Amino acid sequence: MRALQAELSKLFSLPGIWLAFLIGILGPAAFAALDCIAEKEDILAGISTRLPEVGFIGLGFGVQGVILLGVLAVSSEYVTESSEAGHGQQITTSLTAVSSRLQVLLAKAAAVSVVSILLCSLAIAAIVPVTRLILGEYAPAMEWTRLAGATLYWMFTALIAFSFTVLTKNGMIPLTLLMINSSLVSFSVLLAKVTTLAYYLPDRAGIDMFMSMSDAYHTPLAGGLVMLAWVAVLLAIAAIVFQRRDVGA
Amino acid sequence: MLTINNLVKRRGTQEILSGISFEARPGRVTGFLGPNGAGKSSTLRILLGLDHATSGSALIHGKPFAELQHPLRTVGAALDGSGAHPMRTGRAHLRWIACAAGLPRSRVEEVLDVVGLTKAAGTRVKQYSLGMGRRLGIAAALLADPELLVLDEPVNGLDPEGIRWIRTFLRQRAEAGNTVLLSSHLMGELAETVDDVVIIKQGRIVADGTLEEVTGSHSTLEQAFFALTSEHAGDLR
Repeated sequence: MRALQAELSKLFSLPGIWLAFLIGILGPAAFAALDCIAEKEDILAGISTRLPEVGFIGLGFGVQGVILLGVLAVSSEYVTESSEAGHGQQITTSLTAVSSRLQVLLAKAAAVSVVSILLCSLAIAAIVPVTRLILGEYAPAMEWTRLAGATLYWMFTALIAFSFTVLTKNGMIPLTLLMINSSLVSFSVLLAKVTTLAYYLPDRAGIDMFMSMSDAYHTPLAGGLVMLAWVAVLLAIAAIVFQRRDVGA
Repeated sequence: MLTINNLVKRRGTQEILSGISFEARPGRVTGFLGPNGAGKSSTLRILLGLDHATSGSALIHGKPFAELQHPLRTVGAALDGSGAHPMRTGRAHLRWIACAAGLPRSRVEEVLDVVGLTKAAGTRVKQYSLGMGRRLGIAAALLADPELLVLDEPVNGLDPEGIRWIRTFLRQRAEAGNTVLLSSHLMGELAETVDDVVIIKQGRIVADGTLEEVTGSHSTLEQAFFALTSEHAGDLR
């Protein structure tokens, strides 16, 4: 519990975390507002086919906030001080403050999970009034099961970004790949056009937890379980590598 | 008590430590000296559980670091630089460590005062000079008032006032019955501070004893050091 508190304290005293909050809260609200405005005419005319997606699409975009969170939580440990400052890294302090490496990693993963749930809850709290304000009585009902699905999707995505960064130590590669994948070009959506196996990639499977898309492949539960399995495997690999790696290597 | 026993570390084909053994005892400041690249930092990292030994052991009160129940209360460590994220303030850095050790926030203010960083506590670490960073590292090591201190090159980057401060401070810690192990490649700065000296050269211990024993017939520790670590020096153990 102390290790978790320490990790939360670390996260909230890192300036970069506020960028994650900005992207994770304002991003979804702005995205949902734009989508509502674009679809409003069709929705009022009763011919929109995208009504169930409206609002939720913002949550699909806002996941980038937790990607940043998951990456920063790990990459910040490996930021090296300048040569004038003696080349130090925070990871040495972290690993001498808690004797079990597994405990450090689990506490960090738990802190990332807690903050990503908080972030998604705040994003939902921003999206619901935005869609009501723009669409009024036509605003889609936001079922709690789908909102819970979106929250899990955010948490799992944050943990995938986290595990990935444990392997690379540097934030640039996971941040670039995961952010491009979740905003500009979705690798798994493209691959799904070639093989149905792509529906079992974590982001594609996980999105079925909350987006009622016409091309949904899994039930929300199945999609969630597939993504959870990815998270478990990636976390296990990250834990093994983290346990064995020399800090001085 | 810190016990290094037949410690070997290989990285790839390179042998960094070739079976070194020594002790650091309570009530004494032990200087772990050697040129850059001799294996000092590797030894300290293995002792603190940061690197894995190929064979042999490095024990803290008879246990490997990973088995310590309260690591911060047992051993305080300051390795390279400040050990803090550059964008965090000095105070925020100490606060998360205090959280990990279950210490009150008031303790953070106490150690900031001890190392003379109270005024700079709200400044981001990247604005700190090398000396201020070292002081922050030492503040973190002192936070839980541990019986053992392990400091890697503590006088590096300190100004003359800082060096004097650390000498006095380390002497006080040892006189209070604590164990202090510090590494350095600066012999002159340390001769007045250490009780025991361990000299390492290319992964092997070439001298181990009290300051007087290691200095021997040489006029200063520095001269003894160069005699022991120069190319043709024999093993004087």
